[in-house]
Amino acid sequence: MQRQESGVLALFKHLDEFATAARLVQNKSGFDGHQVYSYASYHELMDVAESAYGPSPVRWLTLMGSLVGCSVGFLMPTLMDYDWPLVVGGKTAGLNSAIPNVIFMFELFVLFGALATIFGMLWFGGLANPRARIFDPRLTDDHFAIYVPGVLMDSEQSRYLRSLGALELKAV
Amino acid sequence: MNSAATTSPASVRDDRWKSKVSDVNSGVLGGVIAKPHPSFYVALALAAFCALLGGVAWLLQIIFGMGLSGLNSPVYWGVYITNFVFWVGIGHAGTLISAILFLFRAKWRNSINRSAEAMTVFAVMTAGLFPLIHVGRVYLAAYWMAPIPNTNNLWVNFRSPLIWDVFAISTYLTVSLLFWYMGLVPDLASLRDRSRGLRRFVYGLLSFGWVGSLKQWHHYETGYALLAALATPLVLSVHSIVSWDFAMSIQPGWHTTIFPPYFVAGAILSGCAMVYTLVVPIRKMFSLEHFIKEDHLEACLKLTLLTSSIVAYAYAVEFFIAWYSGAFYEWSIFKLRAYGPYSFYFWVMVFCNCVFPLLLWSKRVRRHMAVSMVICVLINVGMWFERYNIIISSLVEDFIPGSWGHYQPSLTEIAITVGSFGWFFMWFLIFVKFFPFVSLSELKLVMPKPLKASDQELSAQTSS
Repeated sequence: MQRQESGVLALFKHLDEFATAARLVQNKSGFDGHQVYSYASYHELMDVAESAYGPSPVRWLTLMGSLVGCSVGFLMPTLMDYDWPLVVGGKTAGLNSAIPNVIFMFELFVLFGALATIFGMLWFGGLANPRARIFDPRLTDDHFAIYVPGVLMDSEQSRYLRSLGALELKAV
Repeated sequence: MNSAATTSPASVRDDRWKSKVSDVNSGVLGGVIAKPHPSFYVALALAAFCALLGGVAWLLQIIFGMGLSGLNSPVYWGVYITNFVFWVGIGHAGTLISAILFLFRAKWRNSINRSAEAMTVFAVMTAGLFPLIHVGRVYLAAYWMAPIPNTNNLWVNFRSPLIWDVFAISTYLTVSLLFWYMGLVPDLASLRDRSRGLRRFVYGLLSFGWVGSLKQWHHYETGYALLAALATPLVLSVHSIVSWDFAMSIQPGWHTTIFPPYFVAGAILSGCAMVYTLVVPIRKMFSLEHFIKEDHLEACLKLTLLTSSIVAYAYAVEFFIAWYSGAFYEWSIFKLRAYGPYSFYFWVMVFCNCVFPLLLWSKRVRRHMAVSMVICVLINVGMWFERYNIIISSLVEDFIPGSWGHYQPSLTEIAITVGSFGWFFMWFLIFVKFFPFVSLSELKLVMPKPLKASDQELSAQTSS
């Protein structure tokens, strides 16, 4: 099993201090590979994420999935209709009766788009991860945190985090 | 986005909240981890008994055949299809509350969206049983419903509303399930972090190893918003397509263009009423009064009132068009509905869906939970009879007087109907016991933000 890197976890309680801290450590030297943790998706933090990671590529997967779904929704009934032409209400099969296919196009547009979105969210978010490291149970409750790998408690980085308002620092 | 504006203390001080963000996990998850109120077990046992009753009735119908159901010419669509449409309708409000109100940034949804989503999943699951029950030989159902060619390589008829319905309902169930589960992932991680032993292992698996990193939230939020955008037209399309099962036929009373909006409004009405019916007792059972506030329930009632008005308007338009069109058969069916042998059900429908909800115009009534609860239960009764009324009255008397008949539900149909309610409530109660009933991460977003500035202001006020 891969050995997990040790580091320092700085815990915060206040959103305003934490959002500032998360923004400040973003491009600061000595904080390479740091991770930011929150229990909820506050706008302030999503702004930091947007500047750190750029727009999420999940949207492209959604678009691709939806377009594939829409195409399948058109091709499936049309090709099946040509395979065995059914004349209903005097209308010949295939493209001559394509209007109801809009329903399948729409439904599969949504279905494939949703499946692709979920896949994208899991893939880009690094899920499912059975070996996820849970630093502190308070991170899913009411605390925010910044984890800096490869640094010690008595380091420049730890002091900086404390100066930014970290209530507690712990070696993890 | 201007984060400075959103973090100013004045903008976050909200006197309506007596709890803080740090109270949410212990308050909401307390019910999941601790033993619930004894009334919970009574309700679960009752629901399981009803589900068992329905299961036995269905088993007997499978063994002895559809004769037990009493369905025969001219009414082939009886209570089973009534139940199907009713449960799809109930399933409507969940995704409406989660997706559409999410896009509109309606904050009150954050405390009840989880229960509404769960309701949707279990209601659509229940609805999905009825086509299987209705076709009789359930072991052949997949073969008839899905586009699988028969021995002559004949495909399904893609111009039939019934196959549209198969696609619509299965897409709706899948997307609702994904939407619901996606919202649950961060909360399951909270549960994992508060549990021990086997529970911790199971919740760990279910939460996919969620740790709440900024990167995860970033993709999650984008995905959630996109899923909401995809689900929004889906909500409106599902019941429109269900209504086409009727409107695409030439049966008098069904062949009308108002059906899709009328069905959608009716579905939202019944769904909102059911959300209220479910949330009020569970809120009490699990002591969630601090998180599901009266304001949130009142907002749900306002939505119920709005959709009740739309439904009342649709009933009136339907009648007017039947008369104004001059179509003899159409008008005859409508007269039959109001004055014929099934008029009792018609007037139950009118009073429950249009007259009693008018009481909700009064704020005092909306704030009185027991009265509002009775109104919501009556709306659900009315919405069930609406579907019964539409299906039965149009089928008993069609164009040929020689084929006219009479319909009343058989004991098997009644037992399966009771069973469907038991099945629905049983799953809902199991969900409530093992999963967070309120979305923790979303609720925290609408509560006062944990700001240093506001804490300092508060401590200054306390010391002065």
